[in-house]
Amino acid sequence: MGKKTEGSSVIVVTSGKGGVGKTTTVANVASALARKGYKIAVMDLDIGLKKLDLILGLENRVIYDIIQVIEGECTLKQALVKDKRFPELYMLPAAQTRNKDDIKPEQVQEICRQLRPEFDFIFIDCPAGIEQGFRNAIAAADKAIVVTNPEVSAVRDADRIIGMLESAQFQDIQLVINRLQASMVRSGDMLSIDDLMEHLCISLLGIVPEDKKVLISTNKGEPIVLNEHSEAGLAFNNIANRLLGQQVDFPSFEEDSLWGKIRNLGRNLFSKQ
Amino acid sequence: MLDFLKRIFADSSSRKQANDRLRVVLTHDRAGTSSRLMETLKEEILEVISRHVEIEGRPEVKIIREGRHSALDINIPLKGR
Repeated sequence: MGKKTEGSSVIVVTSGKGGVGKTTTVANVASALARKGYKIAVMDLDIGLKKLDLILGLENRVIYDIIQVIEGECTLKQALVKDKRFPELYMLPAAQTRNKDDIKPEQVQEICRQLRPEFDFIFIDCPAGIEQGFRNAIAAADKAIVVTNPEVSAVRDADRIIGMLESAQFQDIQLVINRLQASMVRSGDMLSIDDLMEHLCISLLGIVPEDKKVLISTNKGEPIVLNEHSEAGLAFNNIANRLLGQQVDFPSFEEDSLWGKIRNLGRNLFSKQ
Repeated sequence: MLDFLKRIFADSSSRKQANDRLRVVLTHDRAGTSSRLMETLKEEILEVISRHVEIEGRPEVKIIREGRHSALDINIPLKGR
């Protein structure tokens, strides 16, 4: 089946810090779009520490990897793993026994150039860090999604990454806040959406609440977007819809109790420095 | 009365501490500065100014943020004649 749109979008998903949910975001947003009939390629650039195949539940179907494509041992088409659940989703696996310096940015650009005519969206799963792996991952991308958690070290790394993306002339950088716990924000023990927006100053693409169902679906190798009852699944679906240009309201995590409202008002009035 | 209200609503939450610490860290990360450098900067700026005019009150040298951009904010009250 052919692609749905005229153009194609190459989106890098990055974060600086590891473990914030980059791969989970790639797997789920890609699955959500593939389910809507868009033709999707996901590319794992975490050479040496691959995860995407496992998160997507495709680890047993991998035959070739991206390094073998680059070195001419197989064609790009042979290396792409087709997802049986979503006929429009294809994964280009990372190599597990090599490292990030075995690829150059131009080679990633060449692969994307070949993928563009065939796919509506190409997602690049960027490794943690700011070294060669990061440079490879951003080389071919039109836009960037920065994933962070409401936690100081993740925010600091996100800020650094946003600065580097801006230096690399990225115009379109959007934020996904993963693992938010609204009850902790309300009790004053977690950074809020507004706090993160104030620090990072980029546009918001999605808010994914903490959800135990994510681990359960990861255990099974099933994308959480398939679970209709999962809040995180819904959030990833909303992100997919926003990428398609749809207006999807953000859920409100506002204080709902009367005392909470009075306390917030008082804090705003009386505790400025 | 104001002090009383301030005390009741004083925000000592860990969320506020996280925000305060992030503000400082991100400002320095972006500008490539440090708290130590700011102290040195302040001392040297004051030294130059006080060579020519008399300073009065509490001078301030700090980095302020606006969006993703930073600026050096220097506030040095001068003694009137």
